[in-house]
Amino acid sequence: MAELTSTKLDFDSHLLLDQPLLRLPHELLRKNLKSAQRHIEIANKGIAASIQTLTTHSSPAETLAALDATLLKAQTLKRKLKALHAEEATLHRQQKARIAHLQELHDIPTIVDVKYDVWAQTRLDRLLVDYLLRQNYLASARQLAEAKGIVDLVDIPVFEECGRIEASLRGANGEYGDALGWCAENKQALKKIGSILEMELRLQQFIEMARTGEMDKLMEAIAHARKHFVGGQDTLYGLRAGGLLAHAPDTMVEPYKMMYAPTRYPYLAALFLRTHHTLFALPAHPLLHTAVSAGLSALKTPTCHSAHNPHRGMSSLQHSSDKTTSTMSRQSVPPLLTDTPVCPICSTELNELARGVPYAHHTKSYMEDDPVVLPNGRVFGRDRLRGLNVKLGVPEGRVRDPTDGLGGAEWGWGEVRKVFIL
Amino acid sequence: MDALLTAHNTLTTHANLSTTLTTVDHLIDLLQQTRDNIAGPPPNTTVSAPLQIAKLKGPIRQTFEKAEEDLKEVNKGLNGYQKAWKEKFKGKDGLGMEGSGESLGGGGGGVGLGLGAGSGGASGGLAGQKGLVERAIAMHLLREGEFHVASTFVKEVSAQSRSRNSDGIEEDHSWLDDFTTDSDNVDMEDEHLEDDYEDGELYAPEVMERGYLQRKFAEMYRILDALRNHHNLAPAIHWANVHSDELGARASNLEFELARLRFVELYTSPQPDPSTSDNPDPSFSGPIAALHYARTTFPSFHPRYTHEISALLGALAFSPSLPTSPYHTLFSQEPTRASIATLFTTSFTTLLALPSSPPLLTTTNAGALALPVLTKYSHILSRTRSSWTTSQELPVETPLPGSMNFHNIFVCPVSKEQGTEANWPVMLPCGHVLARESLEAHARGKGRCKCPYCPVEFRVEGGGKRVFI
Repeated sequence: MAELTSTKLDFDSHLLLDQPLLRLPHELLRKNLKSAQRHIEIANKGIAASIQTLTTHSSPAETLAALDATLLKAQTLKRKLKALHAEEATLHRQQKARIAHLQELHDIPTIVDVKYDVWAQTRLDRLLVDYLLRQNYLASARQLAEAKGIVDLVDIPVFEECGRIEASLRGANGEYGDALGWCAENKQALKKIGSILEMELRLQQFIEMARTGEMDKLMEAIAHARKHFVGGQDTLYGLRAGGLLAHAPDTMVEPYKMMYAPTRYPYLAALFLRTHHTLFALPAHPLLHTAVSAGLSALKTPTCHSAHNPHRGMSSLQHSSDKTTSTMSRQSVPPLLTDTPVCPICSTELNELARGVPYAHHTKSYMEDDPVVLPNGRVFGRDRLRGLNVKLGVPEGRVRDPTDGLGGAEWGWGEVRKVFIL
Repeated sequence: MDALLTAHNTLTTHANLSTTLTTVDHLIDLLQQTRDNIAGPPPNTTVSAPLQIAKLKGPIRQTFEKAEEDLKEVNKGLNGYQKAWKEKFKGKDGLGMEGSGESLGGGGGGVGLGLGAGSGGASGGLAGQKGLVERAIAMHLLREGEFHVASTFVKEVSAQSRSRNSDGIEEDHSWLDDFTTDSDNVDMEDEHLEDDYEDGELYAPEVMERGYLQRKFAEMYRILDALRNHHNLAPAIHWANVHSDELGARASNLEFELARLRFVELYTSPQPDPSTSDNPDPSFSGPIAALHYARTTFPSFHPRYTHEISALLGALAFSPSLPTSPYHTLFSQEPTRASIATLFTTSFTTLLALPSSPPLLTTTNAGALALPVLTKYSHILSRTRSSWTTSQELPVETPLPGSMNFHNIFVCPVSKEQGTEANWPVMLPCGHVLARESLEAHARGKGRCKCPYCPVEFRVEGGGKRVFI
């Protein structure tokens, strides 16, 4: 078995899983900053403009009114900035909590330290909440985060927002209003990554207008198309839109049939999700999947799913459609009589999950000391075999196979032979 | 790491929006002042309105420039943070790589290796088994004692699966039946036993009822709670008595440890016991009660634990001056209680045939250790533009600490391949073990052959004896 040569903790490689943790608050802070910039710019223009017009008026009442208006603008600006500042403070707090969490890892020297277990538990909780958020189980995610005290380490608001918009896209009516609003908010960033999301949404708007078939709606649709589809790099949308007008909603002609189909909404929802994750530098797949499949592979051995597994959890039994085997085992003691801890892959929770995963690669055999083989072919360490037999209360000089429980076959110690595993 | 912290501190101290806020405040004051001056001019000034306004323009422009500078400051702070971040995680973009997806996904359709580095491959792996992943999460939540979260989770999953089924997507959610209970939250105080029995899929030997697992874990947490927080050993002792046969078959010390702790408790914290009111001296009531307890319970432990029992009873003689006696180590309660709690948890989960530490935790830890190796390997693969050929087995070794070796591993010394269902280990008459295929290749066509490692010759018919490692 490939054993870790040292139990020293290698921080950098450990933190592979935790990169997105620090990235997200940073991205949100940037977004925050850009909003602040935008607000200030707008206010600047507004106030400068009103002051400009003021100089041409001479009547005091008008001046006063104009000044009041300017004052109002400035105060609005202040209010907005205050809100942004509050959000910034929250983000800073989150960032600090996350940096502290990762910093803790640096204080732990080895993997076998008990502090590492605590840290690993927090990490697992974090991954679980992340998974729950992505699968849209928002209430459970929030409850778990609060129960474990990791609200600052996970990004619940971001995913709640995302889930809301996605649900609206997927919902019964296929509302794209929220999604369009989101696009407007993030226009700059979307343009930087060259996203087609907005175009697709506008096309959907167009499709809805064209679907009605009424003349005035069609005219509206044409105006809409002129506004949004012209001037972009991609003439495809303009052409498609034009072609769509010529076909009725129940047309059989591709690609217009596909455009009219309600399956466009799930497509839009998926597109939104992908775009959202790219924008915020979130990995496309839940981190839990990554960590768990790597772990399953690393732990799995060919025996985990074999019928001869001494650790066999009930899962390999449940596949025997033969009722007699299950009734037999119901009468005997549960199979795990040996005192080794149960392998996670053999446990009920993960056994089925690990079936499709490749097993770990080993270059050296890993065996207990002084292996001996019983006449039925099972191999044990001699001392462990002896200890188990004492616990079973087997009479002196006789040895029984512990995996078969109390009803196993019995032999004399002389029949047990030494085996050499190189 | 420190660089990140410094960058972060810079952000919180001065590179944030608070400076901008002050600037805007300043602007507002300016405007307000001008307005007031125009509205009700102070008596001794004759400044006209247009002049006031003209005077405004300059300061306003300046204020806005200052605001923009403040924002630039924030931008700089953010850039500094980003640099520190890039410095720290330089080159370790294991999770964002798309390119190596094909090389990993090429391992075979059914074997989606869900590596982060191969996002294409990941979609074939765990993502395709949503139901099973969710079941694992639900069981994990139960194990951790988060019953409310678990029931919320089950509810949400059922709700989602119902809405998905109406879309026509088939998913396997039969496991949900084992988790839903008739009552909304698991009653922690109650001890439900026999309900209607159903053959569930989770355990073959023990008959399943609805919500079986939930009840079992609720019971465990109830007992643990009593043990840890209320210093009440009675439920634990009761449970140990009920399961004493199974515990004995595993040579578990739980029952005796519990009895010993109870003895110690009675000894050190005397409770006024009306039945022994004939004893006038209160300072002896503790040891007397302990003695009574010992008389009733210790005899059952006699053959195995004689030594420990005599030690405990000998301590009775030292009751007036316990701290100075040689027995005082036996009576320090706190560490014992913590270790008993652990022992109880381990025994409980072993009897349920579950691993004692949550499998998801072990798996995630193993994953965290294995991921760097695997990502490095896929980096190399993508650079040399090859793909890995074995789909059943990982191509590279992933070392794990000794605590994560749960099985014995056999690697044939000749072919260096692991023993599998198709190619099992066989033992030669001399005691050496090879893979079946290696033996067949070695002995092909010959009636007798020699073991590769020792001079023993043997006849080959029937091959070697299969061994189960």
